[in-house]
Amino acid sequence: MTVATSNIVIETTAHSRQLSMRQTIAMAKRSTIELARQPALIAPSMFFPIFFAVLSASSFSKTTAIPGFPKVESFMQFALASTIVQGVLFGSVTGAAALATDIENGFFDRLLLAPTTRTGILLGRLAGSALFGLFQSAFFLTVLVPFNAPISGGIPGALVMVLSGGIVSLAIGAIMSSVAIRTGSAEAVQGAFPLLFVLLFFSSAFFPRETMSGAYKRIADINPISYLVEGLRALVLEGFTFSAVVRSLLVPTVICAAAILFALKELRRKLAAL
Amino acid sequence: MNTVATTTPVVTSVAKPTTMRSARGLAYRGIRNIRRLPSAFFPAMAMPVFTMIAFAGTFAAITRLPGFPTDRSVNWFMPLGICFGAAFSGIGLGFSTIRDIETRFYDRLLMSPAPRRSLIIGPLLTAWVRVAILCAFVIPMGILLGVRFTSGLLGLLTLVVAALGVSTISLGWGLGLAFRFRDMRGAAVMQLTMFVVLYLSSAQMPLPLMRGWLHNVARINPTTNILRLSREGLVLPTSPDYMSWSNTWGGLLAIAGMSTLTLVFARRGLNKLDK
Repeated sequence: MTVATSNIVIETTAHSRQLSMRQTIAMAKRSTIELARQPALIAPSMFFPIFFAVLSASSFSKTTAIPGFPKVESFMQFALASTIVQGVLFGSVTGAAALATDIENGFFDRLLLAPTTRTGILLGRLAGSALFGLFQSAFFLTVLVPFNAPISGGIPGALVMVLSGGIVSLAIGAIMSSVAIRTGSAEAVQGAFPLLFVLLFFSSAFFPRETMSGAYKRIADINPISYLVEGLRALVLEGFTFSAVVRSLLVPTVICAAAILFALKELRRKLAAL
Repeated sequence: MNTVATTTPVVTSVAKPTTMRSARGLAYRGIRNIRRLPSAFFPAMAMPVFTMIAFAGTFAAITRLPGFPTDRSVNWFMPLGICFGAAFSGIGLGFSTIRDIETRFYDRLLMSPAPRRSLIIGPLLTAWVRVAILCAFVIPMGILLGVRFTSGLLGLLTLVVAALGVSTISLGWGLGLAFRFRDMRGAAVMQLTMFVVLYLSSAQMPLPLMRGWLHNVARINPTTNILRLSREGLVLPTSPDYMSWSNTWGGLLAIAGMSTLTLVFARRGLNKLDK
């Protein structure tokens, strides 16, 4: 009798997990389709990073000779990693703003009324952002690599970069989703974006830390975005080494884990307040 | 007889809506809006400061390149920041005009006997006041961060003239698009085009240090002349871009030409809206 009961419990738990996974996948699908249906929303996150990369490659082509600048074939090669991070930052904000819009227009409340998994609401949305991040990273590499920006790590290096782009997208999406859940306002999410932009600028994304000095260097040294970009850059400049792979995956994964935990905490706080 | 005597003073006391009087009224409204809606003006103030600090710090090493016209990166990027801010001051008024069109306030303006010219001159005066506020805020901040004017007050004057010119151009462009689009779709086009035009110039690097396609584009982009005008009082006296008439007239001509084109564009847009 006891064995039968425990079997039922195990089956119910497994069934519940399956159901939860199916609901999360459905939410991920919804957020991906939502992005794909609004090209005007995603176009800036595809266009601007490419524009800046092409512009910087032409503007700063002579700066690669400055003492301290890493050995590169072109400025475009140097800019490859920052283009991915920049694009993914833009894209993740779009996903988080969509979550805030769901809260604003009451769709989030309807999801809560339905017998759906609570974490799936958030994780599904984030999975959609991560998929978009993967797509963006692959797109940027496909477009920019032919312009004298070879990846020393080859195809495995490129694949790790795409994966890392997806994780970065997940991490930033989780951070911005926390803002969305806390404020319930798409405007607040868009308003928080300049903070990310400032962080990006005060990092080694656009120029190497070795050429910086004073307060700017100190800020770049403690800025996590510097390490995100440098991990990816290692795959481009150093090759497919163990150290480069670990750096390009470890930093975003740690940030991602912390950000998701924080976003889930925000979600629990919101649910408790209802 | 009595009736005539009482009517005449009433008629003469009604203010005739001259262009400048109406423009001043609209300018006052625009200036009051800075205080009432600071969030709309904030980006125009924050952007130059951010550009100056972030670019000067991140790209500080570019001054080590042989032939770079200044040894202080902040000297190079402060004028860029101010020109960005000036562009956004003009565009911001384009946004306000869109809002006025959407809320039907503009219909009331069009129904009034105010000369049509004043609907462009009024916002233009507001844009210039915004630029004055911007310069009064950003230049002292730049000086605190290490900016040095190498040709004294003349350098300050050329910088302010360039900023006023950029705001005039962007205002004409912003109003022209606002009158044509009549909704917030126009706002995205305004920002994007001004952004691209400014960047496809010597915004980040001096012309002789550029390579490839951007060099070719920046060479024919009139904005390069305006940026040269804004920077001529901030580069080293040994630089070919240092304060001289040959580095000034090109910028003034570019401002005159582009302002005329964009203001005509705005006026024609207003005529279409009026119909």
